[in-house]
Amino acid sequence: MHEAAIAQSIVNIVLEEAEKQNATRIESIEIEVGALSFIGVDQVRFWVENSFEGTVAEKAKLIFINVKACLRCQSCAFEGDLRVEEDPAFHMSLPKFACPKCGSSKIEITQGRYAFIRRIKLVKD
Amino acid sequence: MKTIHTEEGKVHEIRIDKNLMGKNNLLVQQNLALLDKHHIKALDVLGSIGSGKTSTIQQLVSHLKDKYKMAAVAGDITTTIDADRIKEKGAHVLQINTDGGCHLDANMVRNALELLELEALDLIFVENVGNLICPGGWPVGAHQRMVVVSTTEGPYMIVKHPGILRDASVLAINKTDLAEAMDVDIEQLKADALKIKPDLKVVFTNGRTGEGIQELIQALGF
Repeated sequence: MHEAAIAQSIVNIVLEEAEKQNATRIESIEIEVGALSFIGVDQVRFWVENSFEGTVAEKAKLIFINVKACLRCQSCAFEGDLRVEEDPAFHMSLPKFACPKCGSSKIEITQGRYAFIRRIKLVKD
Repeated sequence: MKTIHTEEGKVHEIRIDKNLMGKNNLLVQQNLALLDKHHIKALDVLGSIGSGKTSTIQQLVSHLKDKYKMAAVAGDITTTIDADRIKEKGAHVLQINTDGGCHLDANMVRNALELLELEALDLIFVENVGNLICPGGWPVGAHQRMVVVSTTEGPYMIVKHPGILRDASVLAINKTDLAEAMDVDIEQLKADALKIKPDLKVVFTNGRTGEGIQELIQALGF
């Protein structure tokens, strides 16, 4: 359950910020989840909501934003989306870790590898 | 900070912009720096339970013991079975029990590195927890990542877990001797992997007999 580690991180960041700001209530939390971060959003939501019980963040709305994967090719300088092939035989998407333009494998994933907590809205009296 | 007034108080919008894996990333860099300082190469070994991670490491240790001084960090949910098996082959082994945790992270590996006698080592194998999902997203601070899949896991190991190859440079397709009995086409497994990652080095191995281990050593650059 690596989602537990991500959830714990969200909970810690939000509650620390709430304390720092003397917040009476956390209204919403915006979390960006990269397509290659291997994070199950429903599980994170479950863990975070559980951990927030009895805190100022108890009623916080969790907003998850999915972010696609992008790459930069070190061979031809292409910058754009990582290609994902849909395979109807398996009903699944296969990412291709290569440049969609020149085929080089010397690529750098510039977006979609991680998850970020972007912003929170909180209420102060 | 943007502020909006509501009836019950002021709503403040606060930008956080924190990477939820940021701490792990930082420790990855620290682990790599520590290893580089001691001229040690580290290999992160991923694969599901029973794929043959331990047998493959055992074979690598047996083949490389005259060339390198080696240690293994064996991650497991419980038990020291894997650690004991690698120790048998002559490598120093440190066991990390994750107590239920599904992957090793850079922090656990850092703690292990602190307990190893780094001055006396050239090569460290980090055997990750048997799992083909979670470890894929958590780099531990090794120079290379090898994934071990085996024919007994069936024909769909690669297409069902494409993410595991994200950071991998070498794939060992293990238990090739059982391919026929399992009705698994190893060339298809290889083709699936290369479709996802065209520069992946794919080696067919048999962890029990040592077949393919020389090719694996070459692919790893050891």
